[in-house]
Amino acid sequence: MRAVRAIAANTLREAIRDRILYLFVGFAVVMVVSTKLFGMLTVGDETKIVKDIGLASMQFFSMLIAVMMSMILISREVDNRTVFNILAKPVRRWQFILGKYLGLVSIVAANLILITVVLMLMVLIVAGELDFMLLFAGMMTMLEMLVLAAFATFFAVLTRPILGSLMTLAVFVVGHLSADLWLLTRQLPGALTRMVVAVVYYLLPNLERFNFRTAVVHDLPIPGAAVAWAFVYAGAFVTVVLYLANLRFVGKDLK
Amino acid sequence: MKQRLLKISIVALILSVAVVSEIQLGRIPEEDPLGRELLYLPSPEMLKIMSLGNPGLAADILYLWSIQYYSLFKPHERFLYLETIYNLITDLDPLYVDAYRIGALIMQIQTGGDQQELKGAVRRLFEKGLRNLPENWGLAEAAAWDFFIRFRDRETAIYFAEMAVRHPEAPARIKRMVGVWRDKASAWSLEDSIAYWRRAVEDAEDEWDRTMCMNQLYDAVAARDRERLEPLLKTFAGRYGFCPSSWEDVVRAGALREVPRDAFGDPYGIGTETCGLVAFKKFKDQ
Repeated sequence: MRAVRAIAANTLREAIRDRILYLFVGFAVVMVVSTKLFGMLTVGDETKIVKDIGLASMQFFSMLIAVMMSMILISREVDNRTVFNILAKPVRRWQFILGKYLGLVSIVAANLILITVVLMLMVLIVAGELDFMLLFAGMMTMLEMLVLAAFATFFAVLTRPILGSLMTLAVFVVGHLSADLWLLTRQLPGALTRMVVAVVYYLLPNLERFNFRTAVVHDLPIPGAAVAWAFVYAGAFVTVVLYLANLRFVGKDLK
Repeated sequence: MKQRLLKISIVALILSVAVVSEIQLGRIPEEDPLGRELLYLPSPEMLKIMSLGNPGLAADILYLWSIQYYSLFKPHERFLYLETIYNLITDLDPLYVDAYRIGALIMQIQTGGDQQELKGAVRRLFEKGLRNLPENWGLAEAAAWDFFIRFRDRETAIYFAEMAVRHPEAPARIKRMVGVWRDKASAWSLEDSIAYWRRAVEDAEDEWDRTMCMNQLYDAVAARDRERLEPLLKTFAGRYGFCPSSWEDVVRAGALREVPRDAFGDPYGIGTETCGLVAFKKFKDQ
């Protein structure tokens, strides 16, 4: 595990050195702080608007960071030939992949923690009380990002950087539309077509399973089973996708 | 140095051209831009998909947009697509209580168009809100008062008030109000309504509740003033053959001592088409 930890720490360090990360984090913080301005435009409950925009920014900027960082995640190591130095040491390829994944996850987590703290402060200013459910919403967004980061790692191994980023972005979009794909299965004629669409649905991650934002904003009860199964669902997807990424990386000719 | 100054001057010159163009463009009157844009808004299902898991945010954006848009209108004008836009917002976020309340408020400000159709739209919006938020007695109370004061529809008012009363957390004042409305058709005067809402403003538990109660107080005061002042306008019109364009004309004619003001101290207006009192509610500023 020492090798994995060292690669993850190095990935995080590299990302911190990258100015593009600051740009995204800066934008995210500005966006969350500016929710107060949007709140001022409304008639009625300002807090709802602050929470809605804040939580959406949290998700959007975390996704952007995952997508953009996937571009440099592996390709930079291969292009700079530093990957050979790493793999020449007693580091196995799966450790390299896992380290890279955990590095990417740490970057996203750091961003999420920062945005959540800023959002909680904004809600404290507007509503005069701390809303700890925002922490829960942040945690569930992190779960969504764990899945997305696994796909980002997989595509970083599988293809060229820009294409990989586009494919990660596509997973994010499709992941939020897959619930509609499920609804489509009920409308389609023919058992075979319905089965094909159902298979596609189960193979794609349904990122809406991690979306508790409406429940948090409206203070609705959240079933414990929904949260528990969401953790299992994310864990299963992350494991499978990282395993596939490892399979591809093991068989990849890096020269 | 000279060259740098020249470059700065060129940039400043081009920028000033952009500023002048913007000013000129702003002066060109635009005819109901949002009204047309609304025609091309996607369906709620499509907007939900496009929001990528953030339908609440999409509802907020539309809600803010609608407030900015409809606040530009004058009360006698017929607001376009009101029901459509608030249905869209509340389809995106069915628990958005402000959208039901403010949507109904904006509809009521409208004095032009078919009033029966408007009343139906207000009722449909409130009923949708109460279907989605059955525990919200405040919304049911607001609906009851809107129908009692604005539409003078006692039956619908009692229908909504009874919905509010059924909620265990509803304050006793609503029960008393329903009792009076139900038992004594003419016992409840506008003065009673004003006293009721003054007390409700004092007892309001939070800023939102206070704003809503202030709004109802405003309507009750405006309804009382309308009853008192509109006969003066009719007398003026009968005597001089035209409707006064402002309350100053009525003061000059000696029918009033000063320009009448609403519950927030702002002067009333006169609707020249109907020769009636016009109240410009600006409760957000209070």
